[in-house]
Amino acid sequence: MRDFSYVRPDAAAEAVRLVARSADATFVAGGTDLLNLMKDGAEDHALVVDISRLPLAGIEESGGRLRIGAMARMADVALHPVVPKRLPLLSQALLASASPQVRTMATIGGNLLQRTRCWYFRGTGFACNKREPGSGCAALEGRSRWHAVLGGGDHCIAVHPSDLAVALRALDATVHTLGPDGARTVSLADFYREPGDTPHIDNALRHGELITAVEVPLPPAGTHQRYLKLRDRATFEFAVVSVAAVLRTRGRIVEEARLAFGGIATQPWRSAEAEAALRGKPLTERNIAAAGRVLVRDAQPREDNEFKVELVQRALQDVLGRYTGGSR
Amino acid sequence: MNTDVVGRPLSRVESRLKVTGAAEYTADVRVPRLLHGFMAMSTIARGRITRIDTRAAEAAGGVVAVYTHETMPRLKQPTYRPFFKPFIPIQSPEIHHAGQPVAFVVAQTLEQAQRAAELVEVEYEETGRPLGELAMGVPFLAPSGPDGPNTFERGDVAEGMARADVRVEAEFTIPMHHHNPIEPHATTAVWKGSKVTVYETTQALGNTQHVVSEALDVPLDDVRVISRYLGGGFGSKGPVWAHTVLACAAARAVGRPVKLVLSRAHMFTSNGHRAETHQRIGIGATRDGRITALDHVSTQQVTRGDVALFNSSEPIRMLYDIPHLSNVQRTVRLDLPTQSFIRSPEACSSHAQEAALDELAHALKLDPVELRKRNWSSRNMADGEEWGSNYLRECYDRAAAKFGWSRRDPRPGSMRDGGELVGWGMATSAHTAGGRPGSGARMTFDVRGRARIQVGTHDLGTGTYTIMTQIAGEVLGIPVEDVLFELGDSAFPLSYASGASTTAPGVGTAVNRVCSAARKAVIEMAVSQPGSPLRGVPAERVDTGDGHLFDTADRRTRVSYRSVIGHGGKPLHFEVEPVDTPLGYSTGAVFVEVRVDPLLGRIRVTRVVGCYDPGTVLNRKTARSQVLGGIIWGIGFTLFEHTLVDPATARIVNPNLSGYLIPVNADVPDIQVQFIDRPDPASDALGARGFGETPMTGVTAAIANAVFHATGKRVRDLPLTQDKLL
Repeated sequence: MRDFSYVRPDAAAEAVRLVARSADATFVAGGTDLLNLMKDGAEDHALVVDISRLPLAGIEESGGRLRIGAMARMADVALHPVVPKRLPLLSQALLASASPQVRTMATIGGNLLQRTRCWYFRGTGFACNKREPGSGCAALEGRSRWHAVLGGGDHCIAVHPSDLAVALRALDATVHTLGPDGARTVSLADFYREPGDTPHIDNALRHGELITAVEVPLPPAGTHQRYLKLRDRATFEFAVVSVAAVLRTRGRIVEEARLAFGGIATQPWRSAEAEAALRGKPLTERNIAAAGRVLVRDAQPREDNEFKVELVQRALQDVLGRYTGGSR
Repeated sequence: MNTDVVGRPLSRVESRLKVTGAAEYTADVRVPRLLHGFMAMSTIARGRITRIDTRAAEAAGGVVAVYTHETMPRLKQPTYRPFFKPFIPIQSPEIHHAGQPVAFVVAQTLEQAQRAAELVEVEYEETGRPLGELAMGVPFLAPSGPDGPNTFERGDVAEGMARADVRVEAEFTIPMHHHNPIEPHATTAVWKGSKVTVYETTQALGNTQHVVSEALDVPLDDVRVISRYLGGGFGSKGPVWAHTVLACAAARAVGRPVKLVLSRAHMFTSNGHRAETHQRIGIGATRDGRITALDHVSTQQVTRGDVALFNSSEPIRMLYDIPHLSNVQRTVRLDLPTQSFIRSPEACSSHAQEAALDELAHALKLDPVELRKRNWSSRNMADGEEWGSNYLRECYDRAAAKFGWSRRDPRPGSMRDGGELVGWGMATSAHTAGGRPGSGARMTFDVRGRARIQVGTHDLGTGTYTIMTQIAGEVLGIPVEDVLFELGDSAFPLSYASGASTTAPGVGTAVNRVCSAARKAVIEMAVSQPGSPLRGVPAERVDTGDGHLFDTADRRTRVSYRSVIGHGGKPLHFEVEPVDTPLGYSTGAVFVEVRVDPLLGRIRVTRVVGCYDPGTVLNRKTARSQVLGGIIWGIGFTLFEHTLVDPATARIVNPNLSGYLIPVNADVPDIQVQFIDRPDPASDALGARGFGETPMTGVTAAIANAVFHATGKRVRDLPLTQDKLL
């Protein structure tokens, strides 16, 4: 890691100006990912702009929406009075993330921007198009237990690691940003990028653009929400497969099923087809299985991660199965 | 003798120093004019350096020197065996494995050294595709190594198999593992003229002393090695590794002290690992559960140019009363760093044997505990010698009773709790202990009756300071507060390496002997000193306790150590030479409960009960901690530990604790520990045997056996991740 400069401005506009004017600059919030990336050589910055003094940590409910400031810590959001009650999915996903120590430091904005855990990305010396565009992808022929079976391609199969992002995808959240050209709002559906042939671009943010808040519509009362995270040890580990479900039923009929998946795809994954396969139908084991098959129809597994195709279908069965009332 | 000092669950005597940060670990060492080293590592596994450019590194801030194979002082390849690496890096352009040091940077600060190491530009010529983890295909039989022959035969396996009514055969694979002690390897080399003091993370002061002496051509007596506290080692700090020699060479070359602390990534290629092991095992038995034959072949990785194997076969050769047996340890050469021993080297063959026995018990429809009892042996089956003591059968009974084993329905998948499958499995724990060269010791008894004992041994965090203090207190009959036990300095009488479960018996014997000699001498003084209350009492009638000597015929006739030695007016000195300790066998029985989600395959270990026979328990707290550590590691070993090697480059892809998973608190269940606690008459360490590695054995198979009992699935390929149960 090279020496870098560090500043801690008091105003968001100043932070944005400082990063925008230098290609070598970046923001730091909790720092739980950025410092590792810099120490491992996966990222290199000459200027680090600390946004922890900016007034962006508020959490407010109004008009049926919860607005979460980008600087709110993961632990604070998970335990905020409104969240476990109205957005249990969000709370579950946050508490399934990292460790208590990390959750106390790490922020909501930073969590959404954490980089992939792909060891070929984090281990410098391996070919990686995400770290070094055009250098190739060592993961394609490498050890791929933690890699994507959906949304990848010839350039990158790295998984986006955030549990929070998976939950927010299912909750139809939007991201508020402030950039050199002013403020804007981006739906989370449009926020993350498939790698295509530019896997070094993770998301829709422009250089110098800062996440200021995340806004989540509160689902109506009676909506089922659940997050299931499967991983190789009990806690403090990223998902091999995760499922976020927001489910509304009338009687046994599914009115709406919003399903997002982690661990299996290059970005937090929604499958409109899988959701459509359930909509208007009775919630039965058989229909859930059909939705699962639709979800993985285009999966491109490798030897090390082939199990995810089966495991994610079982995980979906586990998540939704508890609401079937035993209907097969 | 006191009877209540040994065995007491005394907290570690150095615990206050540790929790307050006052204990100075090797990486904490501060000396004047200290510089910091850092190594740049190769990114290829097989080939040679064609060009190395250090100009940018040398120009970086704070850099004092950058050594490459072109500029590093020449070093002599040590012949002393605990230098396992077949070459010293940064001596030639040849590359033997990925993560091999290619440059050694010395700078004013650690961060400056790290940055400069990144700036060293290396060009390589690769010589063919490297062979990594997945190329286990072409094994050969290596010649006998220092640990004995790679083949072992007893009776005639074909004949024994022919006599069997039931036979099972299975193959097991265990991946590469790394030690990952919390404390990184560190070396600080301080030269004064031609003499060097090496502050070192070592489990073997003598090994470091010999290797540094030989590699740098310094007389042995001019090398002093200091290692007062260790944050674990698990075998990784037993051998001497190249970075230690390189740090000493760099310090001599720059003319200032140099500290080198390995990064976590460096620790995946610099200090050994558990080689990936494939095992094939066949067992035959009569219908009543007598094993007639066992046939075992293991295949494990070595580096090119090396043949020493460390996943050893003692449980196969020694444990059960099997008349016909064949054991072969084969080797395959891969382009990987040098492998080594790792707690416990006997765990791999234990795993295969104990899992295969479960398969045999199932085939015989015999209780797995009963199968093991029917084949129990009171002897070392490798040489026929009777063990000093062996209470393994009582361990089975006590652990089974505590666990509630009699309530087990043996049918796989038969036990449920709510939606979860419940599985109960068991196995034998067994590990060799002692049987290595012993330890010297010296002692000073001061005029205030306080004992200061010095041994060139080590405390891995396991409790050496504490149990030796207890042995001394017990033997002398003085309060532990009056004992100062010092270790970690090669200027003290040396012990053998603290590995292979040898410290308690080896050093314990030395402390017992030196204290016994001191006690005897003070008794002689007391019965002959003018004015002594014990004057004229026959020496054999005198006993000691609570800091006093007394007449056993009239306990009120007593005198304090302090008074006797004070009367003499000068401190007393004692020293003993090492004696070999006998080979012991510390065994136990471990029972495990798992719960498995039938839909998702998710496995949780929910309960463990173990009962062990370590001879005399020197300290119930530290002994219990050894069991907890072994069992927790066994959970990681079985369920998720795995060093992954990239097939194309033979580079380790998860060289960090984010990718290399070890158990966290949430993985650790209720663990209940019992001890037989009866002295082994063969031990001169007050009946204690070595024990550190025993609890790590058996538990891995017990978990896998419990998973079979829960699910009916045999997973013979570790780690046992949930996808293997889908």
